[in-house]
Amino acid sequence: MKVKVTVIGMFLIAVFFPFHLFGATALEMVKANVIDVLSVLKDPKLQGEEGKKTKMQRIEVAADRLFDYVELSRRTLGVSWNKFSPEQRKEFVALYRLLLKDTYIEKIMAYRNEEINFLKEIPLSESTVEVQTSVTAKGGPAAIYYRAIKKEEGWKVYDVVIEGVSLINNYRTQFREILGNNPPETLLETLRKKVGKK
Amino acid sequence: MLLSLIPVLILAILFGNNSYLYGDTVHEALKENRTELEGEDKNIYAEVTEEETEGADRGATIPDPFEGWNRAIFQINDRFYFWVLKPVARGYGFLLNEDIRGLFSNFYSNLKGPLRIVNNLLQGRFSAAGIEFSRFLINSTVGVAGFRDCAKECFSIKERFADFRQTLGRYGLGFGFYIVWPFIGPSSPRDTLGMIGDGLLMPQGYLLEKSFLTPEMISLFAHEWVNNLSFHIGDYETLKKAAIDPYIAMRDAYVQYRKEVIERGRD
Repeated sequence: MKVKVTVIGMFLIAVFFPFHLFGATALEMVKANVIDVLSVLKDPKLQGEEGKKTKMQRIEVAADRLFDYVELSRRTLGVSWNKFSPEQRKEFVALYRLLLKDTYIEKIMAYRNEEINFLKEIPLSESTVEVQTSVTAKGGPAAIYYRAIKKEEGWKVYDVVIEGVSLINNYRTQFREILGNNPPETLLETLRKKVGKK
Repeated sequence: MLLSLIPVLILAILFGNNSYLYGDTVHEALKENRTELEGEDKNIYAEVTEEETEGADRGATIPDPFEGWNRAIFQINDRFYFWVLKPVARGYGFLLNEDIRGLFSNFYSNLKGPLRIVNNLLQGRFSAAGIEFSRFLINSTVGVAGFRDCAKECFSIKERFADFRQTLGRYGLGFGFYIVWPFIGPSSPRDTLGMIGDGLLMPQGYLLEKSFLTPEMISLFAHEWVNNLSFHIGDYETLKKAAIDPYIAMRDAYVQYRKEVIERGRD
């Protein structure tokens, strides 16, 4: 009798436990989320002004699932992060999120009609991997790599490397220029203006 | 690509004598910049928390002693792109469909076969050089003078990229410093030298038995340029739009990209 219960119990666990999510590799996770963003972009039902609005909202949700903006911010600012007060850090993450979302969507939009191949994942450290994808474009294939970090909720992207150019490194160089001679507030003001324009 | 060389040559002639005057300054400026950068890197090392250093690139940098000049030329290039290049490339792309432009891409790519063969050899990648040699033979014949990439399409022999800029980098030569050339855009002494080297290995001049500065040659290079650009309209705009400081964003993208090309050569 006991054995039977145990067997049934194990069977039920095996059926209902979301193993597929638990063991999801970074590649699977990134793939699912990128495809999510793309499917919203491609959705023929989302046309016109109304559709555009829904589209932006859905992309935002999908992008939020893909990226870890705090991780992105910390890695972009590096030590300068410590110069920011907790409130300033919070604002920076919020502004940077808006900026990155626009940048990423712009980049991925350009590739919406092309085929994306999810090639492989390469471990970078104990908790980070690089998911390598290739986009077949007419002018030649483009290499887009997603760097992801393992978090409690799964793999989160903290950098996108397009043709060898890392997004966070690119912004770090630009921010460094501003933070070199100015307080964090100057950078925040610059970002406010930049994001507000759009 | 060679069209882009012409202004360099003109500049070299124009400013050739002055280079002595600048010689020392360059050196000093370079040194200063180097120590500055090293200092910064050390700081990052000392203070950054475990999380941030782990797996994160410290980021490549380049000395920029002529930032004033570079920013001015960057502005001129920007105008030139929006006022001349982009409308021309757009009109061209409108007239010829993607497939036809693709044929031209193949044609110009095939002309770079010899320089890929030589540079693969220089880098000690002998099998890659052999592959490029067979690609050049196949595409120049069965591929109808290179208009079709038959090596890839019929035999699945993919391109093995190599150029002289990559060769110099793989030999351990550093960027030197950042320089923005009119029309060509981001470069460095190393890459300028590399481009001249590549230019000399282009068969156009030898085939037409003409020097590089004739109207025929210039139109050929201009066509290659516009044809290539017609596939990449929007790239620069995206970079500019996303940037806080487009000049710095471009400089950093250049450094990161060229570094990647050199590292890619190691596979």
